[in-house]
Amino acid sequence: MIQKVRVITTVGPDLKGEGVLHDIRSRLGIKSVEKVSAIKVYRLEGLSEKETEILAEKLLSEPINQRYTINNQQQPITIEIAYKSGVMNPEVASIQKAAEDLGIKLLACDSSVEYAFYGNLTKKEAQELVKKLRLFNQLIEQIVFKEPKTLVLKGKVGKTRIVPIRNLSDQKLLDLSKDKFFLNLEEMKVIQKYFRKIKRDPTDLELETLAQTWSEHCAHKTFKAELLVDGKRKAPLLERIKREALKHNKNIVSAFVDNAGVMDFYGGWAINGKAETHNAPSAIEPYGGAMTGSGGVFRDVVATGQGAKAIISTDIFCLARPDMDKSLLPAGTLPPDYILKRVVSAVRDYGNRVGIPTNNGSFHFDDDFRAKPVVLVGAYGILPKSKAKKGKPKLGDVAVVIGGRTGRDGIHGATFSSGEMSERTMEVHATAVQIGNAIEEKRIFDAILEARDKDLIRAVQDLGAGGFSSAIGETGERIGVTVHLEKAPLKYQGLAPWEIFLSESQERMLVILPPKNLNEFLEICKKYNVEVVEIAKFDGSKSLKVFFKKEKVGDLEMRFLYGGLPQRVMKAKSAKGKVQRGKFEKLPVTESEWIRLLEKILNHGDINSKEPILRMYDHNVQGTNALHPFGGIGMDGPNDGAVVRPLLDKPYGLVVAHGLNPKLTRDDPYWGTIWSATEAISNYVAVGGDYKNASLINNYIWPFPDEEWLGKLDTCVDAVCDFMKALKIPVISGKDSLSATYRGSGGFVLHSPPTLVMSVFGKIPDVKKTVSSDFKKVGSIIVMVGKQEIEVDLKVLPKVLDKLHQAVVSGKVLACHDVSEGGLVTTIFEMCVGGNCGAEIKASGEGLFVETPGCFIVEVENEEIAKKLFSKVPFKILGKTRKDERLVVNGLFTADIKNLKEKWQKPMKEIFP
Amino acid sequence: MKIVNVCILQSDGTNCDNELFYAFKKFGGSPQFVHVNELRDKSKSLKNFDILALPGGFSYGDDVASGKIWAIELISFLRKEIEDFRKKEGLIIGICNGFQVLVRTGLLPFGNLGKMDATLATNDSGHFECRWVDLKVEKSKCIFLQGDYNIGHFAVNHGEGKFLCNIETLKKVETQKLVVFRYVDENGKPTQKYPKNPNGSLNATAGATDPTGRVLGLMPHPEKFVDVTQYPNWRREKIAKPHGSFIFENMIKFVRKTK
Repeated sequence: MIQKVRVITTVGPDLKGEGVLHDIRSRLGIKSVEKVSAIKVYRLEGLSEKETEILAEKLLSEPINQRYTINNQQQPITIEIAYKSGVMNPEVASIQKAAEDLGIKLLACDSSVEYAFYGNLTKKEAQELVKKLRLFNQLIEQIVFKEPKTLVLKGKVGKTRIVPIRNLSDQKLLDLSKDKFFLNLEEMKVIQKYFRKIKRDPTDLELETLAQTWSEHCAHKTFKAELLVDGKRKAPLLERIKREALKHNKNIVSAFVDNAGVMDFYGGWAINGKAETHNAPSAIEPYGGAMTGSGGVFRDVVATGQGAKAIISTDIFCLARPDMDKSLLPAGTLPPDYILKRVVSAVRDYGNRVGIPTNNGSFHFDDDFRAKPVVLVGAYGILPKSKAKKGKPKLGDVAVVIGGRTGRDGIHGATFSSGEMSERTMEVHATAVQIGNAIEEKRIFDAILEARDKDLIRAVQDLGAGGFSSAIGETGERIGVTVHLEKAPLKYQGLAPWEIFLSESQERMLVILPPKNLNEFLEICKKYNVEVVEIAKFDGSKSLKVFFKKEKVGDLEMRFLYGGLPQRVMKAKSAKGKVQRGKFEKLPVTESEWIRLLEKILNHGDINSKEPILRMYDHNVQGTNALHPFGGIGMDGPNDGAVVRPLLDKPYGLVVAHGLNPKLTRDDPYWGTIWSATEAISNYVAVGGDYKNASLINNYIWPFPDEEWLGKLDTCVDAVCDFMKALKIPVISGKDSLSATYRGSGGFVLHSPPTLVMSVFGKIPDVKKTVSSDFKKVGSIIVMVGKQEIEVDLKVLPKVLDKLHQAVVSGKVLACHDVSEGGLVTTIFEMCVGGNCGAEIKASGEGLFVETPGCFIVEVENEEIAKKLFSKVPFKILGKTRKDERLVVNGLFTADIKNLKEKWQKPMKEIFP
Repeated sequence: MKIVNVCILQSDGTNCDNELFYAFKKFGGSPQFVHVNELRDKSKSLKNFDILALPGGFSYGDDVASGKIWAIELISFLRKEIEDFRKKEGLIIGICNGFQVLVRTGLLPFGNLGKMDATLATNDSGHFECRWVDLKVEKSKCIFLQGDYNIGHFAVNHGEGKFLCNIETLKKVETQKLVVFRYVDENGKPTQKYPKNPNGSLNATAGATDPTGRVLGLMPHPEKFVDVTQYPNWRREKIAKPHGSFIFENMIKFVRKTK
């Protein structure tokens, strides 16, 4: 029997309930609802009433401000929202643990939320309200209509099937691929030929493994393809990037080979970085999608070498404008304001819990992102240089899986027969989306770091895309490996071996150990409450052998699995683009016109203050920040990048920044890319970063690469290579996501703006030699350093970056802020906000707003210092800071900073009250 | 110099342990990480420590309520160990999630292990708050904070920090001088105004002690301001001494004096 406990907050505001009521009244304009209250519901299975009473009193409710009922429904109209079964509710494990600590053994449990509606409405109307307000996402949650009979998930073990492909016609091969595998005919025929040669048909597991290993996501076929641009041969994109990057290798520890790029730090340490998109899952379930995106990139950083500590997290989102006309939304897509709120909640709930400061990020709004938004998460870490490379598995080494259990999460095929799960009231749901369990992730990180420091680990591998198939296969590629899938701990029964092998369940890692270290490793896992089992052994067979108990369910030669994929030859049309200068049709004339224009710019989504969001992200955990995202007297002036001191007893700094410009890259792939990369390095240098000791991470988010888009991608990569060459610094990690195209019915096609996100990270010897953006003094000199050009002069740029860095190190720069979106007037405005002061400048009308990276606003004490510091590079003295909070642009207008600040802060304050 | 042994207690989801370790070490303590499982399996014991420190984080995900699951674990398995530690007059500090645990075990404010007298409820804003606030140190029972102290800047990073109890309890807390820290406004006056009071705590309570004065819990993070560069405005404000330092210094000094 299931006992149902309902917990009601009696003292203090019921924020959830009041929030719903507020939305019903303000967003839906419905006045008939008088009150909404939110009630927490717990279902406990296998307990007596007395035991239930104990749990309700001691665990589930708070004596001071809550009361509980057991198996008692009093509210008039209630709608309960619960996770669908098979979607793991992270709270369940904690409830089970605490119950056990109290000496009570639960068979199963679940928690959910119930909304009680008061007023003049029917249950049906209440349901409609819940749907309209999107209080749940149908992919992972549901309204509970019927009490479940049991919460225990059951199912029969699935079987392995043979897929006869040796005699299939080309058309049949394609049909098979189209449904499931997404390989082209040539690739399918290579597989067919292989199985003809070895005289048997593949198992489903083998075909799935090949399809996953050869997928665009894992094999990067476009980036590795030979290109024909306008008929002319060009080397593959990846090869070009690597070739240029490895010329600039003075700091590289490892590049393009591990889960994250690694560069040298100080005192025997190295730092690593990685950025990754999680666009597709986030488009359909932004909360789970962004969470698992964060979780995945954190694991990539931790699973570098023999294990790293994650120390910074970054988030970059490209979305449609939150107030976009909803009628523009293509079928099956979510409204942008909903996506915005949910991705922010996800970063908050996941990053904060894992305890990695989220101290850098940005938002970009363009309505062409309405179908396929960009959710890009980055992470940075630190590890001993001596352990920065993965050890190669040796004969007899074992692989253990640690952390979360394996479920049907992330498997593409929703083709299971629900009959196998018929004992469940609610059907086990196969889903591409999961809710992350941050604490599970934290536990495995803790265990890995302790094992690393005890020299137990040969290598760590993340279980991400492709799950075991990818992680075990890749680590065993050279030597061969035998896997025993029946050992994998499962969330619920009913998975077929291929599902276990391909599952992308979160919060799992693979650790490779010499067998003599196994026991000590198990002890560490026990200490941290981490589940661990040995799942594979490296056997020297040079093949991937997979067993389920005694049945062999897969046997593939490594040579074929990793070497059999034919290189693609892809055609591209060379791209032509032109920077749109963004000329103003008519420049303002009167003062009030100027001010109105400035207000409009400061109100714009790309430019307005994101402080309300940053205040919900824990950007201060670990105590390492030496430059916070916001600073200044009111702590409301934004800074350009993050500076952290990863080793608290050392002054060494890790500096992180990024740049992107989807709109410009859409107009002009070459200059848009250069702009993005320049913006990244400018943000980095503006806070005190040394560009000569920086590494780059490039992420390409691109529409599906037909000839035209591939041509633009080719141009973008050329620009990235030119940028590396000009600055003599390398790209050491990156990723591509080439599916930013939406195809709707009736031939409707929407390409998201092509986006190159450049992230920068690097080292400085002393965090004290850095600078913030807030003006520090009254009457000091405001200087513009660098050229004000959209088409960045790559010859001048390194000189400017170098001079500015030297100036910051000299301690003579009081404040510095990079010019970007909104132009120099926005930059100066933000510096005034941080300093609670004003500024008086001379500048031409259009020059105020032109968005030019590689150009900085610098505050110094007096003109002599400015001349001394910047005489060898382009610079211009613009004016002075002043005491009263006014922005005076000589001859054009005088604006009140406080008033501008209100306009600049308003949009996000409204969305995130 | 006497060695001051500090137990930095960890659980699943503890995440401010490294900076707390660093803070104690910086001021001369000898911190050691101890996972709660090591106390449960008796491979380590509180007997060997002078100070028990519960760091911030999200113990067990803050599931059900913040610090709740960890509090139940401590009451269920380590009641005797904690009682013994109190008998031998050890000091206890809980920061953020550690404070939430101390309140939910009942140790704060009245030292009733196993019975909650107050709670730390969801912030009035309804969400996590990451910002800097100003704190005033009250003349309280806290045995190791008996001097005169300036108002200081402290980081807060929490979603459930609203100190809440009934009126009688609040009166008792005040008359017994158990409030150690209060959120204050620009003029140094206790405030209920957001965001200077980031959570809506009653009587602007940011931290409290128990009647013995040996247990201290607070929502803000003194361990995140023991070096100058940890404060966002170190470039523009003169910081003679990082504002979180005195708590660790005083705890260590107190143990040295009385050990």
